Amino acid sequence: MRKTVHGGHRNDVTGLFDKEELKILKSLNFNFCLQCGKCTASCPVFLRTELNPRTLVRKTLYFVSQLKICPPLSISEISSVWACTTCSNCVIYCPRDVKPMDIILAFRTILIERGNVPSTISEALENIYKFGNPFGISSLKRAEWAQDLSVKKASEESEVDLLYFVGCLTSYDNRAQNIARSMVIILKNIGVNFSILAEDENCCGNEVYSLGERGLFEVVAEKNVKRSRQYKISKIITTCSHCFNTLKNRYKLENIEVQHSTQFLSDLIDKAEINFSKRIAKKIAFHDPCYLGKHNNIFEEPRKILENIPGVTLLELERSRKNSLCCGGGGGRTWYEVTGEISRPSEDRIKEAIDMGAEILAVACPFCLLELEDAVKRMGYENKLQVLDIVEVICRSLGGL
Amino acid sequence: MDIIVCVKSVPITTGAELIPDKTRKDVILDNIPFDINEWDEYALEEAIRLKERFGGNVTVISVSSRDIDEAILKCLAKGADRAIKIVDKLVAEYDAYTIAKILYTVIKSMKYDLILCGAQAGDDGYALVGVMLASLLRIPYVTFVKRLELINGSLRTVRELEEGFEEIVEVELPALLTVQTGINEPRYASIMAIRKARQKEIITLDLKSINFAESNFDGWIEIQEFFTPERRKKCIMLQGDLNEITTKVVEILRQKGILR
Repeated sequence: MRKTVHGGHRNDVTGLFDKEELKILKSLNFNFCLQCGKCTASCPVFLRTELNPRTLVRKTLYFVSQLKICPPLSISEISSVWACTTCSNCVIYCPRDVKPMDIILAFRTILIERGNVPSTISEALENIYKFGNPFGISSLKRAEWAQDLSVKKASEESEVDLLYFVGCLTSYDNRAQNIARSMVIILKNIGVNFSILAEDENCCGNEVYSLGERGLFEVVAEKNVKRSRQYKISKIITTCSHCFNTLKNRYKLENIEVQHSTQFLSDLIDKAEINFSKRIAKKIAFHDPCYLGKHNNIFEEPRKILENIPGVTLLELERSRKNSLCCGGGGGRTWYEVTGEISRPSEDRIKEAIDMGAEILAVACPFCLLELEDAVKRMGYENKLQVLDIVEVICRSLGGL
Repeated sequence: MDIIVCVKSVPITTGAELIPDKTRKDVILDNIPFDINEWDEYALEEAIRLKERFGGNVTVISVSSRDIDEAILKCLAKGADRAIKIVDKLVAEYDAYTIAKILYTVIKSMKYDLILCGAQAGDDGYALVGVMLASLLRIPYVTFVKRLELINGSLRTVRELEEGFEEIVEVELPALLTVQTGINEPRYASIMAIRKARQKEIITLDLKSINFAESNFDGWIEIQEFFTPERRKKCIMLQGDLNEITTKVVEILRQKGILR
């Protein structure tokens, strides 16, 4: 028996974990870890926070291996997992296919099941359960951004050929709503028939999954899958790379194609269905969102779109594509500030863009948009660099917004 | 230490537009989610922490006119050992005094060392049930507790008063405390834990099964009307360039007699 984080007693078998928790850790394959440290070296929050993927893997081995070759983890070391942005660099750079990020998510699940969750994360998760969004705002207000745009609702159609899945951040955040408005203007300009779920849309659960709340993920996924069947949806597009990742990879959507807006619009460029009417004479650098690039290997489409906009000079950031620097907003970090964190990765990213002379930093994700725009404001570069979602750039070149 | 926690399920109205119903004696709560009253969450957390330190059992009791399984399961998932729910449509029509009498009817025959209630409810905000229940049970009570410590079988509590003042009150057990928010940080109840909580003991009662006589429905408070107060302050957005806006501001200030 030992004391829990709340001071109670648990049936413990290792000194730290109970049988169920140990089962979660043992299901992961990390015995092949060489301790090369590539995971830690590539982690965007290492040195800013206490999180050290290599040490986490090494010390976890104590509990799952017969060889007690290293000291076991402490509760404070485990709690460092809340700093992870789930960018997946550690997975990409691991030469032994160990997937340190999965270990981080497993620890998050263990902490979630113990109820030991930072209060801001706990609030966001409870809001997702109660309101269907992390902000605790009524679902009736989900489509307020579309009030003056006459957008069709899926509930009013007999079948939905194309659904624009807007996502929570884009639906409720004042700044990110401009992504949704731009996307709608583009789709209408091209003459595409589409609908939105409006108040029937529920949080996609990407952040819920990456925070380790597996039960809640099942609940939100089930709600959205049910809606997709109810409204006979054939194809879904998203402007949020987090929604895209989870709808495409973690849902069981039978016979429904899921595309990110950059893929969808890139296809339309190939078919010559987009006519850019206005020059955007700007130097634009593209920031690869982790959930679009590293998690889903979509690198070419956003670049192709920008290259096709008349006047645009496309710059390649020093750290781009698979080597892209995370903005710092993923994995639930939008709702969690790490105590003592020296700086956010977004500030390094902005410096990189400024140093290479970019006038616009284009993104393809509302999380990146808000994180990077905040960094621009904090650093006082508002007159030098503008952060825009790629659909906002397209919308401008079509003469809208 | 055996602890009873009284829990209410309340509508979460943050950001919601509340409209009175046809009778104007209630508000329309369609599409508004319900959850454990915020103050009760802190009371429950305090009870679970006491149990984890000193042993014993935590029993959650809730009186409601509507289905409260979700709130009850959340309490059990967080660490309560069992729950008693008294669900009866008649409850909706009665006030805090009647609710306290219903709780008294159930609790009077139970064994307990401590009863914890939230300091108030997030919906009606009367802060009455706890103190009325303690009076009916003839046990001492302390309200608005923000810290507590168990010393030699009695409780040393700190009450939150106005303007940063604090009051220390020592109380012998059994006692009832009404708990203020911020006393602790309530733990998270995962969906998996909520699902598992179904295996714990839940006793379902109604007013008939506890022999709560009709003569007991003698509430003290009768709601006359719900209404939205008239807005006394309004925000005016001025349009125009700097000169036009400045002229308009001066005009408004003159009209209000602030500038002469």
